Amino acid sequence: MRSWLFEAAPRGRVAALRTLTYLFIVFDLLVYSSWVRTRGDVPTELYQPLWIGRVLHLPAPDGTLVNVVFWTLLVLAPLAATGRFPRLLGWLVCGFYLEWLVIAMSYGKVDHDRFAFLIALAVLPTVGRARHGDREPSEAAGWALRMIQIAVVATYFLAAWAKMRFGGLGWMTGSVLARAFIRRGSDFADLIASVPYLMIAAQIGMVTFEALSPLVFALRGRNRYAAIAFFYSFHLLSFATISISFAPHLVALTSFLPLERVRPIVWLRRVAARDRSADTLEPVAVGSGGG
Amino acid sequence: MAELTTTARATRVIAAVIGVALLLAGSAWGQDDKFPFGPFSMYAGVNGPNEPAPDTRVEGTDSTGRVIVLAERNAGVRRAEIEGQEGAYVDDPARLARIVDSYQRLNPGAPPLVKVALIVREHEIRHSSATGRWYDDVRAVWERQA
Repeated sequence: MRSWLFEAAPRGRVAALRTLTYLFIVFDLLVYSSWVRTRGDVPTELYQPLWIGRVLHLPAPDGTLVNVVFWTLLVLAPLAATGRFPRLLGWLVCGFYLEWLVIAMSYGKVDHDRFAFLIALAVLPTVGRARHGDREPSEAAGWALRMIQIAVVATYFLAAWAKMRFGGLGWMTGSVLARAFIRRGSDFADLIASVPYLMIAAQIGMVTFEALSPLVFALRGRNRYAAIAFFYSFHLLSFATISISFAPHLVALTSFLPLERVRPIVWLRRVAARDRSADTLEPVAVGSGGG
Repeated sequence: MAELTTTARATRVIAAVIGVALLLAGSAWGQDDKFPFGPFSMYAGVNGPNEPAPDTRVEGTDSTGRVIVLAERNAGVRRAEIEGQEGAYVDDPARLARIVDSYQRLNPGAPPLVKVALIVREHEIRHSSATGRWYDDVRAVWERQA
């Protein structure tokens, strides 16, 4: 168990995940959940504080609070994405983003696509400095990635659990998908909905996949990547049918991938260097670092 | 390889154990209210294979007669939030005025809303599939006093 929890992973993987995670926050604030900003104008009578809001005596959101949290995150998240001051900026972003979500979820509807993303925000600062492309294995990096992976898989597995807890076995033969398709369905969803019994088969398939998702940890190499590709395809299908993307969860899901090999800045430099050498016919050294 | 000290490792094990315990407790006994450790109850409710599917919307009519669907982007209130509090709106339709306030604040130049209705479209379902038939059920109405 100990070796599994602390299985060393390259620091560069954490560096890349950090950049992706903190940049996603910018996208989230401006596009994905931009509606959260409207909370400042919603009358406080509609505010239904979450348990965490009641225990910590968090203030009911008003225009000032929403603006302060929004602008603070919009400044801090891109700074954190650079990898500088990973602990200080990481913890600040984690705290402010949690408050942002508390504001978002305190009006009677809670989203379930952010658990693993929140865990990522909570564990990424613990790794400390990590440079892009750094292949040196580190136990701190391994633990952080393992925590995010567990959170991702828990999101699936516990979703199956919740279906049995709230819906029971009848969930699989019920009409949850038909209902979701009516409420949020695309033309593609209408096409699927017209096939007899496909909805019931899909419901059984969903619970089975969610319940078996922890097996991803038993897989290695190509098989594990195939399972991750299957997870992504599940979300692609959800997006195509009911336009639910689970975007923050998809970011956390990259914790299973060898992200340290993704080096967009290095690639761009290489292309630029090649162009230059083609122009001058002089050999040019390929730059290192960055990424 | 960069190894962790014994203390660092112990701290991380304790943090993980607490996190997993909170998560499991939330899933076993908690409700959404326990966010972020609540149950992953998205689409977990059971609907019978022939149970009609409700599709809720809040419609506002402005002073020019235009009908607008009020939602999170123009009125700061999400559909699921309306559904969660449907009973409160039905008992006290004046509560819909809060959504009007919020719409007016978010759209300062827009013509004022004169009427807001909470409408549920009930879609017929047979054998877990929609038949295409539906009817609208108006559950609560608020009208601006002249």
